[in-house]
Amino acid sequence: MRVSGIAFLGGAASRLLPASIPFRFFGAAAAYHLLAWIALLAGARDVPRFGGGLGWPLAALHLVTLGVLVMTAIGASLQLLPVATRRPVESRRWSAAIWWVYTPGVAAVALGMGMPAPYLLGGGAIAVSVALAGYAALLARNLIGARGMPVVIAHGFAALAALVVVLVTAVSLACAYLGVPVLERGMALALHVTFAAYGFMGLLALGLSYILVPMFALAAVPDERRARQSLVFAVAALLLAAGAAAGVAPQPLRIAAVGAGAAAVALHWRLMDIALKTGMRQNLGRSVKLMRIAWAFLAASLATGLGVAVDAPFDGMVALFGLLLIVGWLLTFLLGVLQRIVPFLASMHRAPGKRLPPTPSSLTAERPLAIHFACHLTALASLAAAIVAGSPWLASAGALAGGAGAVAFGSFLATVRRRMSAPDGKAASR
Amino acid sequence: MGATGPRVEGKRWVAADGIHIDVRGLSPPGPLVAILELVGSIGDATPVIVHHERDPQMLYPELAEIGWAAHRIDGEPGEVRLKLERAT
Repeated sequence: MRVSGIAFLGGAASRLLPASIPFRFFGAAAAYHLLAWIALLAGARDVPRFGGGLGWPLAALHLVTLGVLVMTAIGASLQLLPVATRRPVESRRWSAAIWWVYTPGVAAVALGMGMPAPYLLGGGAIAVSVALAGYAALLARNLIGARGMPVVIAHGFAALAALVVVLVTAVSLACAYLGVPVLERGMALALHVTFAAYGFMGLLALGLSYILVPMFALAAVPDERRARQSLVFAVAALLLAAGAAAGVAPQPLRIAAVGAGAAAVALHWRLMDIALKTGMRQNLGRSVKLMRIAWAFLAASLATGLGVAVDAPFDGMVALFGLLLIVGWLLTFLLGVLQRIVPFLASMHRAPGKRLPPTPSSLTAERPLAIHFACHLTALASLAAAIVAGSPWLASAGALAGGAGAVAFGSFLATVRRRMSAPDGKAASR
Repeated sequence: MGATGPRVEGKRWVAADGIHIDVRGLSPPGPLVAILELVGSIGDATPVIVHHERDPQMLYPELAEIGWAAHRIDGEPGEVRLKLERAT
């Protein structure tokens, strides 16, 4: 029996999560992206010498990490991991429920930190923890028994283990603000920062890159042995950092952790470079430029991490480390990936009644992405200069540039969403 | 697409109904790359028959981008067999 293109593509689409699930995560991430820059503007005076503590800079940091990075990671991984694991996401209701608990939880955490209002922060932390525990369960069910790429699955399991550490330390830190400390604050904070940024989010980013980058470049699968070695170094770095946080020879272990992290990054970087240079598709545009810039910031974050480890005599070292790690590496990488995969995912979820899927290039919006590119890099440069010069004015300028970039990126997402729902023939009109 | 190639070929053969490619057992995105490499090398209207182990959902947007379409045809049990042709 021959099945028509319409029926077959309909069948393929039915095995995807409904478009409303990943897109509600992407939409919330776009809103929190803008709110993060607004919170940073509100706390610009404290940004250049920020070293922790309640206030708008901490709220801005969590609007980026929880509101943009983790929000997008949940939406994208629910859609992309089944490709690597060859197992579908088992519960669509859970995926939607996670969004409904997680999204207001992030808002409560950010407001609780910014105002500050410890009880609001505590309530938000509970909601976020419950939602992330639900996501961890979905992720674990998908990874257990997976038949796909072993190295991607191994990164998934390592990210999952890191998420457990992040959740435990997050609850402990929130309890400390309510006057009920669980773990010693310095240890909890060191574990929380390292396992959230390099552990959970970093390992998800590195692992998914082994599918995404060859897919973008149309390149061969990266060398599994080298990718496994990179993961071993990354996990070793996290364990060394955990030992340092627990008070076991803190400075030598932190320096060793940076060394192991650098080895992991060097191996990963080499594999990605090979994929990009040998792929059939060479002109990858702004998206891959952002990803390359992000990889450079990942290496720079390790250099500043070393500065923090050896107590370098510069007051802004912690703020600079945070900027390079969260905005320079993770946010830049994610925005680079997102601007490529969103039109692609939208094309897979074509509007009902269409005979053929619209092309990703007809769904994307180049002008907002060009504006975002310029604004994002301007924001990064301004904030780095603000920290080096100790200037709140430069921090404000950076927040304004970042906010303009966030509006442009939100406009790109809205355009893709509108075009994917448009009747036949409308998608191509820009 | 540039001149360089990733050399992810899968098993290929020619039959009366078109050029066949078997990508079963390749890790993602190997099947996608192998299929697009073959499709990109075809200059005429020759169809491509793909032997796959699952619905290649990521393939359809890429095919649409280069003016090709996929149709499912009968295959062995457990196999997803596709006929790829230039979209008219």
